[in-house]
Amino acid sequence: MSTGQDARLYDLGYRSYDGPRERPARAIPALAEFTARRVLGLGRGGRHKVLPAVTLVIAYLPALFSVAYAVFARNILPGDLVSYGDYMFFIGSALALFAALVAPEALCPDRRTGLLGLYLAGPLDRTRYLVAKGAGVLGAMLLITLGPLLFMLLAFVLAGLGPSVSATPKLLLRIFAVGLVTALLYASLSLAVSSFTSRRAVAAVGVVLVLFVPALVVRPAIESAGAPNALDLFSSPFVVANLAYRIFGETQENHQPVTHLSTGLVVAGVAAAIALGALVCWLRYRRLEAFR
Amino acid sequence: MQNASENQPVISARGVVKRYGRALALAGLDAEIGPGITGLLGSNGAGKTTFISLALGLRSRNEGELLVLGRDPATAGIEVRSRIGYSPEHHDLPAELTATDFVRHLAEMHLLPRRAAVQRANDALWLVGLGEERFRPVGNMSTGQRQRVKLAAAIAHDPELVLLDEPTDGLDPMQRTEMLALIRRIGTEFGMNIVLSSHHLEEAERICDAVVIVEGGEVVRAGTLADLRRGPEGIVVEVDERADEVASILVARGIDVTQEAGVLLLAATDDAYDAVRDAVAELEVGLRRLEPRGRTLEDVYLGVGA
Repeated sequence: MSTGQDARLYDLGYRSYDGPRERPARAIPALAEFTARRVLGLGRGGRHKVLPAVTLVIAYLPALFSVAYAVFARNILPGDLVSYGDYMFFIGSALALFAALVAPEALCPDRRTGLLGLYLAGPLDRTRYLVAKGAGVLGAMLLITLGPLLFMLLAFVLAGLGPSVSATPKLLLRIFAVGLVTALLYASLSLAVSSFTSRRAVAAVGVVLVLFVPALVVRPAIESAGAPNALDLFSSPFVVANLAYRIFGETQENHQPVTHLSTGLVVAGVAAAIALGALVCWLRYRRLEAFR
Repeated sequence: MQNASENQPVISARGVVKRYGRALALAGLDAEIGPGITGLLGSNGAGKTTFISLALGLRSRNEGELLVLGRDPATAGIEVRSRIGYSPEHHDLPAELTATDFVRHLAEMHLLPRRAAVQRANDALWLVGLGEERFRPVGNMSTGQRQRVKLAAAIAHDPELVLLDEPTDGLDPMQRTEMLALIRRIGTEFGMNIVLSSHHLEEAERICDAVVIVEGGEVVRAGTLADLRRGPEGIVVEVDERADEVASILVARGIDVTQEAGVLLLAATDDAYDAVRDAVAELEVGLRRLEPRGRTLEDVYLGVGA
C-alpha cells in the first residue's frame, strides 16, 4: 500500500509533448505498414478479411498439396514435384484476384474519405505518399509471390527432396527475384489503374481489363493481321509468368506465345510495364485535387 | 512543442496571388496572423480554403510572399506541415477505423514515435470529450463526434499551429458552444496558435483574439477583435419612450446628443452617465440600453460605422 510519500499522479491528461520526434522520412514506412495491414484486412472487420484470405488460400493451397504429396507419397522423383516456374503460372489467378480486388484498397478509399488530404497536410508529399502506398501493396503482394515458393523450398529441403546445399542459395536468389518482379508488376499495374478512380469496384474492373484484354486483342492481331510477335509483351500476366520460367531455368511446356521471344525482350517488356504503371500513377497524383 | 517566438506572426502573407486558370482566387492577399486564436472569416468562395491550402504548401501560389512559422511552405512544405495540425471541413473519415486508431495513425504520420502516438491519441480524445467513445468506429459516430475526432487528430502531435476549417459545421447550437469552448481552451491552456476558418462571425467574436476578413481573395479587415470593435467615442442610450425629452434634458446639461432611429448617441463626458441617470429618473422612463459606443463584428464585416 502506498505510504503517501510514494504516491504519484500518473493520469495527467492532455499536456504539451516534449518527447522525441521521428525524422520526416519515418512517415513512409509507417504509412506502408498501415497500408499493408489495411490491404490484408488486419485489424479490420471480418468482411474486409474475406478477399485477402481467399487469395492467400488460392496462392498457398497448391503449395500445401504439393508438400503433402511430397512428404506422404512413396517413390517420389524430382520430376513428380511441381516446379517453381509452374507454381508461379498456377497462382496467376490468385495474383490477378489480388491485384483487382484487394490492392485497390490502398489508394481508392483515401480519396473517397478525404484521408489523402490529411496525409498531404502532414509531413508527406505526393511522391512520398505514393512510395509508401506502393511499398505497402508490394509487401502484401510478396506474401503471395514469395511466401508459397519459400514454403515449398523449406518443406522440400526438410523432406530431403530439395536442392543440394550448394544449389540452395542460387535457388533462393531466383525465388526472391521472381517473387519481387512478379509482385512489382502486379502492384504497379493495380496502383496505376486505382489512381484513376476512388471506387474499388471500378478499379477492379479496370485491373481485369488491363491484365487480360491486351492478351485477347494482341494474339488475333499477330495471327491474322501479321502484327509483330513483340506485341505479345502487352500480355503482362503471361510475360511475367514466362520470365519466371526463364529465371528458374525451366522450360515452359504450356506453349504460351511469349516463349518464342528473346529473354532480353521479355525482361525489357516486364521492366517497361512496371515503369509505365508507376509513371502513370505518379503523373495522375501529381495533379490530383487532394484538398477539399 | 517548439513554440514560435512570442509576438512573431505565425503566418505572414504579402501580395499573395493564386489563380485557377483564369479565375483569381487570391488577389494580392496581405495578412499577419497570430499568435493566439485568429478567425479567418469570409463568405463561401472568399478564398479562405485556398489560403489554408497555400499555408500548408499543398498548392503553389502564383505571386507574393508567404511565411508559415517562419518558413516558406512552398519550399519547406514537409518541415512546415510537420509542425501544423489540420482539421478539414469535410466529415468523411475512414468509417471502419476506431477513433483511437485514426488519431493514433495521424499522430504517427506527424512523426510521433508509436508508443507516444498511442498515448497522445488517448489523451487528445479524452480532452475533446470522446474518452469513453474512443474505441467506436468513426463511421458510427455523429457529426458532432466526428468534428471532435478531427480536432483530436489535429492536436494529438502537439503542433505549433492548428488550422481548423469550419470546425462547427453541422453542429447544433449546444454542440457549437461546446466546440468553441474547447477550441478556446486548446488555444489558451495549451498554447497552440489557432487559425479558425469560418463564415460564422459570431464564432470568431466568441473565441478569437484577432480576425482576418477575406472577401474576393483580398483582406478587407484585419486586426485584434478589440481594435476592430472599437467604435467612435461616446455612449449609446436607448429608452422606452420620450427619447426627445431625454435628449432635451441632456442637451440642457451641455452634452452633445444626436438621435439615430430612436437611439441617442452621446458625446463621452465625465458626467454623461450621471446625466442619463438623472434624466430617465426625472421623466420616469425605462432605460433599455446604456453602453459605450462600439461595433459588432457584423458591423465591421458589413462596413457599418467604419
